[in-house]
Amino acid sequence: MSIRLSALGLPAFALALVGGVLTVQLAYGGGSFEPLRSADPCTTREVASRSDGIEGLTERLVLIGVDEAACSLGVTREALILELGQPGARSDAQVEALRDGLSTAVRRMDEEGTLPLASELVDEALDSADLNRFLEIAIRAIPDSVVDAALKTDDVLLRTIADLDLRALLANLDDQADLNAQLEEAVTQAVLDSLADRLRDLV
Amino acid sequence: MRRAVAPLLAVTVALVLADSAVVTLALPDILQHLDATVGQVAWVLISFNLVLGLIAVPAAVAFDRAQPRILSAVGIALFAGASAWCAVAGSIDVLIAARCLQALGGALALVGCLELMVAEWGERRGVAAWVTAGVLGTAVGPVAGGLLTQAISWQAIFVVQVPFAVLAVPAALAVRVVPALPPDRHRPAVRPNLTLALLSAALTAALFLLVLLLVEGWGRSPAAAALTVSVVPLAALAARPLARLMRPSPETEVAVGCFLIAGGLAGLAILPSAHLLWTVAPQALVGLGLGLTMDRLTAQAMELRLPRAHHAGWTIGARHVGVVVGLAILTPVFTADLQDAQEPAQEAIASLVLDAPLTAQDKIAVARGLGDELTQQQGRIPDLHRAFEAAELAPSERPAAAALERDLDTQLEAAATRAFRDSFLIGAALALLALLTVVWPGRRRAA
Repeated sequence: MSIRLSALGLPAFALALVGGVLTVQLAYGGGSFEPLRSADPCTTREVASRSDGIEGLTERLVLIGVDEAACSLGVTREALILELGQPGARSDAQVEALRDGLSTAVRRMDEEGTLPLASELVDEALDSADLNRFLEIAIRAIPDSVVDAALKTDDVLLRTIADLDLRALLANLDDQADLNAQLEEAVTQAVLDSLADRLRDLV
Repeated sequence: MRRAVAPLLAVTVALVLADSAVVTLALPDILQHLDATVGQVAWVLISFNLVLGLIAVPAAVAFDRAQPRILSAVGIALFAGASAWCAVAGSIDVLIAARCLQALGGALALVGCLELMVAEWGERRGVAAWVTAGVLGTAVGPVAGGLLTQAISWQAIFVVQVPFAVLAVPAALAVRVVPALPPDRHRPAVRPNLTLALLSAALTAALFLLVLLLVEGWGRSPAAAALTVSVVPLAALAARPLARLMRPSPETEVAVGCFLIAGGLAGLAILPSAHLLWTVAPQALVGLGLGLTMDRLTAQAMELRLPRAHHAGWTIGARHVGVVVGLAILTPVFTADLQDAQEPAQEAIASLVLDAPLTAQDKIAVARGLGDELTQQQGRIPDLHRAFEAAELAPSERPAAAALERDLDTQLEAAATRAFRDSFLIGAALALLALLTVVWPGRRRAA
């Protein structure tokens, strides 16, 4: 009996050791220590930005727009972003998906009431633009209520997106985050152009 | 001097067998210093084991026709010279050639030292000391290599071997009486040698892949990795007292050892995080298994078999061919898995950067740095810290950036850990196969 027990002692001890180690590891998430899985881009994602003004607005637009584009292309947001960051020509489907995605982002933000008023964007646009001095003074003199009555942010943004040469813009991306910077520049210019047009109409 | 002869020979045995995996932690440094490819640098490891595995038996046969002390001294001198050549190698091709020569000298030294140690200490003590020195050398090799690489350089691994081997040459020549080798009477012990080969292949996963995961995957220093993997030899030392306490049969001991190695490798395949402490328990299982199996199997393969040197040659051959088979199976698996891990890792990084609580400008700066780093480090794990340093963020943004950097590092560690999973599981399967060779019923002889 004691010989039999002695023969079983080491195997039993080994079974307990291996079982214990594997159980503890599995209990603490062993086997699931893997890179973060990309979320489904077709599920509405809350987007936030630490930036203010036009920079914050364009960041939110890009984040929602890329999600929408990825959803329509059937890829993850991250895969699309990484692909756009690579050099090379963009397909028609990618360009159109991104344009539609950005437009959808504008409409979604408008519905949510998260689009800023046009007057909130004017000062920042003027600060970063190299405008004729008289034109700049004239625009700054327009009361906010008049600016907001004359310009609807969603209209300006939708026109900007429609006019954007997205293929050229995407071809010049140094990396994925440049999309933000280039779109920001386009939005700033669009706000100024729209205001200058209205001003000329008034004159 | 007389009393130092046998210990010096035992040290030589440990050195030669340590060389099997001693360069594992130095491979990244060698790759960089000698401007080699990953494939070339793997041959620094493979060449030694392959030559040692293939030459061991012919080397043992050579001892039939030569004075063992002379041939041993020649082997040890060749090993010392080749070690010095490894240290001064200026190209990867030269280093690989030197490693082949080192293995050739090592094979002669190993077989010769067995004969000389038996002459010095007697059959029982001599064989036991030879087996123990070999197991210790195998287990301690990666640790010693890592510490030397971190403290001095990869060349130091080879330099430190030279004086010991040089001292062992006169020690070998000083052995007075070497009994004549008896004629070949016994066939090689197939089963213990097969188990040894399979276990050596499995242990490649523990000794080679784990250090790669620690250094290349988790970005730990060679010294930190060396200290971490020291759990294996320490646990191996605890195996003998454990066996004495439980008093199992030799077959049970070996079977349990195989099971523990399989369990430890399975544990390494399911690590819950990249914290070093999580590797301790699985490594302890592997170490216990190593301590229960390797010396016992070597003794079984050699026990009462003559000529002793021939059977020693078979065990050395089985072990090192096993290592090469392990490398041949595991290397393509983990390199392909590392390649496959890049895409999910990049997507995880992109996701975290996009959603990071940083300003858009800072996200752009960080993304640019990360893009550059990923491009420069193609095929290797990138150093994300440089990308954050290059971003030159405002002090108010640094806490959020530091949190993002930690999260990104975790993603890389998770991707690397996932990439090694299949290889560790294959290692565990090899250990279970070894267990099968132990418990499989043998052929019954007719009464």
